[in-house]
Amino acid sequence: MTGSKVLKATGILALVGVAATAWLGLWVTPDAVGFPHGLVRLLYIHPPMAWVAFVAYGMAFLSSMLYLWPRTRHIRFDRMAGASAEVGVVFTGLTLATGSIWGRPTWGVWWTWDPLLTTTALLFVLYLGYLALRRVPGDPEVVARRSAIAALIAFVDVPVVYFSVSWWRSLHQAPTIDFTGRHLYVHGSMAWTLLLGFVSFTLAYAWLTAHRYRLAGLQDSEADEGLRYALDERRAEGLGPA
Amino acid sequence: MSATPRRGGAGSSRRLAVAGLVIVLALGFLVYKGLTSAIVFFKTTNEAIAQRATLGNATFQLEGTVVYGSVHRLRTTEVSFAISQGGATIHVDNTGDPPEMFRPGLPVVVVGHFVGNSDGFASDQIMVKHSQQYIAAHPGRVKVVSKSGKRT
Repeated sequence: MTGSKVLKATGILALVGVAATAWLGLWVTPDAVGFPHGLVRLLYIHPPMAWVAFVAYGMAFLSSMLYLWPRTRHIRFDRMAGASAEVGVVFTGLTLATGSIWGRPTWGVWWTWDPLLTTTALLFVLYLGYLALRRVPGDPEVVARRSAIAALIAFVDVPVVYFSVSWWRSLHQAPTIDFTGRHLYVHGSMAWTLLLGFVSFTLAYAWLTAHRYRLAGLQDSEADEGLRYALDERRAEGLGPA
Repeated sequence: MSATPRRGGAGSSRRLAVAGLVIVLALGFLVYKGLTSAIVFFKTTNEAIAQRATLGNATFQLEGTVVYGSVHRLRTTEVSFAISQGGATIHVDNTGDPPEMFRPGLPVVVVGHFVGNSDGFASDQIMVKHSQQYIAAHPGRVKVVSKSGKRT
């Protein structure tokens, strides 16, 4: 069982989209003025990865709110928050890695304690901490509640990361897609490739998160099953040989 | 209510405590870094000139735009240039290879200190800033000679 048809279609679209982004980004789009060796081509994956991390943490935030709200409290929101945050951490790691690879030849450094970089590193560690907290043993409801609260606290850093380049002095440039000012700083095939990158990586996020969510449900029911089995066994022992 | 036992026992809770400690230490380090260096990542050229007396020979990060015609390669690993911003200009001597993207007209952040009592700045690292704008070098790859035929 690998999920619904919609999910399968999402996975195929994500794969095709990412492949098309790579092809357009590496071969079709032109070089950019001032960027040697086609370095600009990292543009088509680095911002989409950062975007996916934001979306993932946003989803974890929403799910955690829904879990904490008594009327909508359900363990599936806890699972969704955990699944989404896990994918978010992977994409934050990828954002840091691609950023570092881009930073060395353009800025001249692999890393610097610039506000955007520092707050992004903080984001990575915050959500690693969140994932570790989820694994601290305890009553499932207590674990779910404290995880939900942690997800709300960790999310505070997300807008800080996004606005850090405008709030403080930074080495990192402002976003090429300016969501608040509704401006796009890139044109033509470069812009279309970047937008395709955003769509494809978002689809990849949806596919990964949906599967991780499904897996979390299976893990829980497997644990339930194991417990029930153990209980039945003890009960059988209590009754003595049949 | 689901009766889901979480994995773990005595050994794993010690492991979790260690993992937790590592994460808390990392958080503390990042917050410290954030408060000390990231909030004021650099001083601008005019600020550095205004604060010249108090800055002494302390090391800090300085930002300014590389002045056209000021760049001189002294040796293969040494470059001298002027940066300006807000009407102030500082002369910089940098040891170490500048990044490939380094060129006049681009803002840079240099890491170093003022030399002696002068307004000269000695740096050992140049970081090149670039804008969020990306302009196609040869739009559409049409086979015509473009006006600015250079491809960098």
